[in-house]
Amino acid sequence: MKLIVFCLFTIYCCSLVKASTMEHKKLKEVLRELKMLKSNLPNTELMMNTPPKDIEDCCCLTALTCFRETLLEHFGISGKYQKKLYKSLNHTLTVSTFGLNFCNTETSTTNCSTCHSHPKENASEFFNRLESLVQRVRLFQIYFRKLYIKY
Amino acid sequence: ISVSTRAYILFLFAMMSTRLLLLLYLTGHVFAKKSEDVDCLVVNLDYISCTWNKTGTPEVNYTFYSKLGNDQWKMCNHYLTENNVNIGCNKEIDSRDRFKTFRTQLTNGSEWFEKGHELKKQVKLNPPTNLTVLNGSDFNLWFYWNHTSPAPLHCVESEVRFRTNNNNWDVVSAGIQKYCINLPSSSSRYELQVRNRVDDACGESIFWSDWSEPVVWGSNNSTYAKNSMSPWMPVMYVVGAITVILLAMILLHHERWQLFVTSEGFFSLFFKDWFQFSKGLKDNFKPDYNERACPVREYNYVSQSDVVSSDGSTCSVTTDQTDCSIEHDPEDLSAPFPSNPVSSEEVQKASV
Repeated sequence: MKLIVFCLFTIYCCSLVKASTMEHKKLKEVLRELKMLKSNLPNTELMMNTPPKDIEDCCCLTALTCFRETLLEHFGISGKYQKKLYKSLNHTLTVSTFGLNFCNTETSTTNCSTCHSHPKENASEFFNRLESLVQRVRLFQIYFRKLYIKY
Repeated sequence: ISVSTRAYILFLFAMMSTRLLLLLYLTGHVFAKKSEDVDCLVVNLDYISCTWNKTGTPEVNYTFYSKLGNDQWKMCNHYLTENNVNIGCNKEIDSRDRFKTFRTQLTNGSEWFEKGHELKKQVKLNPPTNLTVLNGSDFNLWFYWNHTSPAPLHCVESEVRFRTNNNNWDVVSAGIQKYCINLPSSSSRYELQVRNRVDDACGESIFWSDWSEPVVWGSNNSTYAKNSMSPWMPVMYVVGAITVILLAMILLHHERWQLFVTSEGFFSLFFKDWFQFSKGLKDNFKPDYNERACPVREYNYVSQSDVVSSDGSTCSVTTDQTDCSIEHDPEDLSAPFPSNPVSSEEVQKASV
């Protein structure tokens, strides 16, 4: 009985590490697709609601949702790169990583600003801020993985 | 209007323009603000270093304030000074703070200079440390080093440069904390340095770190200079050239030598004996060659008294006529063999 419990616990821990590795790769994929979209974006003066650079840790998931929905609203998913990026931003691995950003209490998320309250910025600034947010979360996710492996 | 009046009017106009320009210049000089430019750099993801002495040491002592993200404005608590004048400020940060907005204020009490900074890419890491080299069991040369920044390993991009025997540097990308040179030459000297920066997936820094301290592997005696040559080589080349020229001169200016070289005598001197030897060798190698065997016999000493008492004739020991010292034609089989009245052995013809 003890042996079975120990084996199940080991399998559980390994799956967590594996999931963490997959999340790490998923965010790298998001950055790659974002880079492709930025380089293939037509020159546009479109202005759209853009979350600020100084997002609290607990509001990262809210900001991700805002970026994703704004992308859908203004660029659609008919284009190849737009579709790929939207799917990656909507993936469960991406969402879980953003939700795991040192935010455990549900009440703290209620202080996050709504998407339409954010000031409007041009497309270039919009994608730069999305890139910064993903890089910041990815950096934190690597730290989390190291801590998890360590302890 | 007369000419003199026109001249007077022009003179007045010029004077007024000059005075107006002078007035504007003086006014501008008095009211113009000297803007101090603040440059900020994230050093090793540990702290932000801001300086304002790019155009020289300031004349006055400025007070520095900074605001990171949604925090309040905070005064600097660690100034950098030069000749007792504040020229910069260091501010400790968390490695993720570079993604936040960063604003600075510089004031001397009466003037305020405010500026925003994009810190994400303004990062310069410290150079790698503990660069070591090992000769692996796979006969390759392995280089290892450590990072000192708090950035995770997967966020750091490394680049190495190495040179062989003090030749030009080769710059290549490297793996995480290691690099390999395949099958190095034991007689060569290898020198390597490494530098790093934050990679693209973690917010690429536009500055590379400084090169690390170099590490060297190879023979101490192999201190090759670029395109080095032994000092004796030119001397040998000169001696050889002089020898060739002298020989050519001798050949050209001595007719006897010329004739000798071009005559048959030159060749016969070297090949005459060889031809003779060849002819004898050729003659001797015949398939049906026969050689007469040399008889071997014992000579018994017979005293004079015994000979006289037997038949009254005087006989003496004679040499055998069939001795091998007499030359016979080996093909002349019909020639009778001379008989020796003393010999009792038969002569056998040996055919070869």
